[in-house]
Parts: sequence; C-alpha cells; structure tokens
Amino acid sequence: MNWLRAISIAALVLLLIPIVVLLYYGLGPFRNPAGYSVAVFRSIELSLFSSAVAVAVDILLFTPLAYYLARGKDRLAESLVDIPISVPHPIIGVALLILDSPITPSGKFLLGLHINFYNTILGLVTALVIMSAPIYVKAMQPYFESKDAAAEDYAMGLGAGRLRTLYSVVLPDSFDGLTSASLISMSRALSEFGSISIIAFYVLQYPFYGVSSASVTIFELYNGAMAGGLYAAVTASAAMILVALPIALAGHFVRRRGRRT
Amino acid sequence: MIEASVKRRLGAFNLSADFADGGFVCLTGKNGSGKTCFLKAIAGQLPIDQGYVKVGGRDITRLPVEKRGVVLVNPGSSIPHLAVDAHLRWGAGLRRIDVDERRLSKVKDELGIDFGGRVRVLSLGMRERVSLATALLASPRAILVDEAFSNIHDRSIFIAAYRRLASTAGIDVIFATQEETDASLADHLYVITDGKLERRL
Repeated sequence: MNWLRAISIAALVLLLIPIVVLLYYGLGPFRNPAGYSVAVFRSIELSLFSSAVAVAVDILLFTPLAYYLARGKDRLAESLVDIPISVPHPIIGVALLILDSPITPSGKFLLGLHINFYNTILGLVTALVIMSAPIYVKAMQPYFESKDAAAEDYAMGLGAGRLRTLYSVVLPDSFDGLTSASLISMSRALSEFGSISIIAFYVLQYPFYGVSSASVTIFELYNGAMAGGLYAAVTASAAMILVALPIALAGHFVRRRGRRT
Repeated sequence: MIEASVKRRLGAFNLSADFADGGFVCLTGKNGSGKTCFLKAIAGQLPIDQGYVKVGGRDITRLPVEKRGVVLVNPGSSIPHLAVDAHLRWGAGLRRIDVDERRLSKVKDELGIDFGGRVRVLSLGMRERVSLATALLASPRAILVDEAFSNIHDRSIFIAAYRRLASTAGIDVIFATQEETDASLADHLYVITDGKLERRL
C-alpha cells in the first residue's frame, strides 16, 4: 500500500510540477506588468464569459444526451460523443470555418441567416460548446448511471415520458452532479486554445471588441505579437491559473461530496 | 384483469398467468423464483423475448412503460424532492385527473398518511405509504406492488385499507410477497414454484 501511495504521489508531482513552477516564476521572479495589464484581464473576462455561456448551452442541450446514454445504452452514440475531443483541436476550428464560409453552401445558408462564427462571440462560444460538451456528457453520464432507476421507472409507470421524467424527477435531485459536471466542463472551456485560435482569434463585437480569449492572449504575449514577451506570458499564465484552478477544484470537490452523501 | 405470458431467454425465464378475476392478488414464491421479473415484464420495465401482456383485454406488450396504465411500486419508488401532498397529486396530474381535497384527505386518512414534509426525509415505511397512495390516486388500470408493503407498520390494517380503496376505484392490484400467509389479505393467491405459476386460491 505504501508503495502504491508513493507511486501515486510521484505521478501527481509529475503532473503538477510545471504548474507550480509557472506559478512561482509568474508571481515571483518573472513577474511582468504586461502580464496583468488591462488587456490580459479583459481576455480573462472574455474567457470566463464565453465559457460560462458555453456551459449553460451544455446544460440545456447535452443533459438530455447524457441521460439518454446513461439509460439507453446506445454504444454508437456513446462513441460519437468523443469525436470532437479525440481529434486535434484546431480541426474543430477549421471545421467551423468551413461550415460558415461564404464559399460553401452551408456557409451561404448560415450567413444568410446572419449566423457568423468568424471572430464573433457566437463562433467562440460554439467552439467552446463543441470542446466542452463531451467532457460535460462524460461527467453526467456516470452520475446518472449511478442513480437508482426505481424512482424513474415509477414516474414512467405513472405516465411520465422519458424527457418529463428527466426534468421532473431526475434533475431536481441532481444538483451536485450538475454543478460538478458544469464546473469541470467550464474549466475545460477556459483552457481551450486550438479551435478558438482559428475560428475566433479575437472577437469583433461589443462589449469585447478586439479582445482575445486568455489562452490566445498568452500565446500572443509569448510569440511577441503583444508587447511583453516570455515574462509577461508567464505572469499572465499564472493569473489565468489562479482564476481557473478554483473552478476545476470546486467541480471535483462537489463531485466527491455528492458521492459521500 | 391481467393476462401475461412472458418468456426471456436470459435466465431461462418463462411464466404465464391469467389473473382473470382481477381484484387484489397475492403473488408468492421463494427468493429468485421470478416474482420481480414477472412484475417488471408486465410493467414493461423488462423486455421479453416472447409472449404477451394484456390488461383489461388490451394488448400492451409493445407499449412503452408510460403508456401501459400499469404502475409498479417497490421500496425505492418515490420522487424524493416532492412534498407529500404534491407527491400524492403528481401521478394524477400527469393523467389530468383532478384530485379534490375531499378525495385526498380520505386516501390520506385511510392509509395513515398523517405527516408532511419532503419525501426525501421520510422513513422507508412512510415513503412506501406515499408511493402506494400516489399510485392509487393516479387511477391506473393496475398496480403491481413488489415488496412495497414490507416496511409499513400495522401492515395488515394498511393492506386491508389499500384493498378497499383499490376495489372502490376499480383498480386491480398484484402484490408480491415472501409470505404465503399474506394470502389471507388477498382475493386470490398465486404461487411460483419450480418455474411454474399456479393459482391456489
């Protein structure tokens, strides 16, 4: 058991060392004012806003899917859910770009409806939904599976359909599962870079005109597109971690508490 | 009146019964005899490979659970976040049946539901009372009770009251139990022995 504990701690240290080192240098020796400038905080604000909207969409659209997978045992659908996160993330950005391009029929159609993904909040949120929804579904599905189905069977026997059962019986009793899955998928959305760097490198809409997401801003600081350089990138990364970490930890804490009760 | 002949290849399950006289039916058998599977198959919660289920002469074999008009109540059957009165009206509400105060009070009185609060905080026996009363007020064609009388104190008084209310409402009830002596509380007794279902009373 002690060896198991030792190996587990070593594995954890391996995972966390880069983060700890980054926090140390970002908040200490490498601290650079460009890393906590207004531009950086605006980008963190955009990341928080777009991730929160994406998670709200996840809850509305993907809770039924997670429940369907938990109770329906549809193996094909279960495999399909994983696709967006199993391909390199820039592919999703390129896919959205083509989907909404004026040179494709789908793009002509969408643009005709004034649905524009390119450098818009809609495009940013859409990319984040696609990248965070699989994480949300994969968190909610086992939660639903772990719940005793007796109450659901009973409700259905009384005449409630599956969807009614989900909204009237299952969800009111799933606050911990919903909260935990939402926080975990939000932290996933906050960390997204690949897809949004293509479809919404920056946003050209009020109230975030010219603002990029935090991950893109850090990349711009790093490659010199924004003034600041490596030290500013390290400082901005540390600031982002301080924002994102509590969200991720809260998600796991709520899930563990839910398992105990 | 319930008529069922259900066969499942998994677990070599094959039972048939014609509860032609309806009423309040006691179903007994040893552990693992197939009581729960049989009731679940009638309620549509367990798919069957062969056979049929008819309620009141209507074939419901292929109907989904929510359209069968059959409620299966077991000890886990309750909607925890609802308050007692809201729970009691819930099933009836789904079927657009209006439960007036007088009817609600009568059922509560007769079934000993003299408590309130969220169902989540009630004892198992109290929850069973509420679940069974909810099923009754929803006026289904049949109620299947799988061991859901087992945690109720003054059990025989409760079952007698439930039998009376179900009979007045014209609802057939089949209740599964381990105790063959429970037959005295029912109109008919069916026993599952060695994979066969026989009427004894």
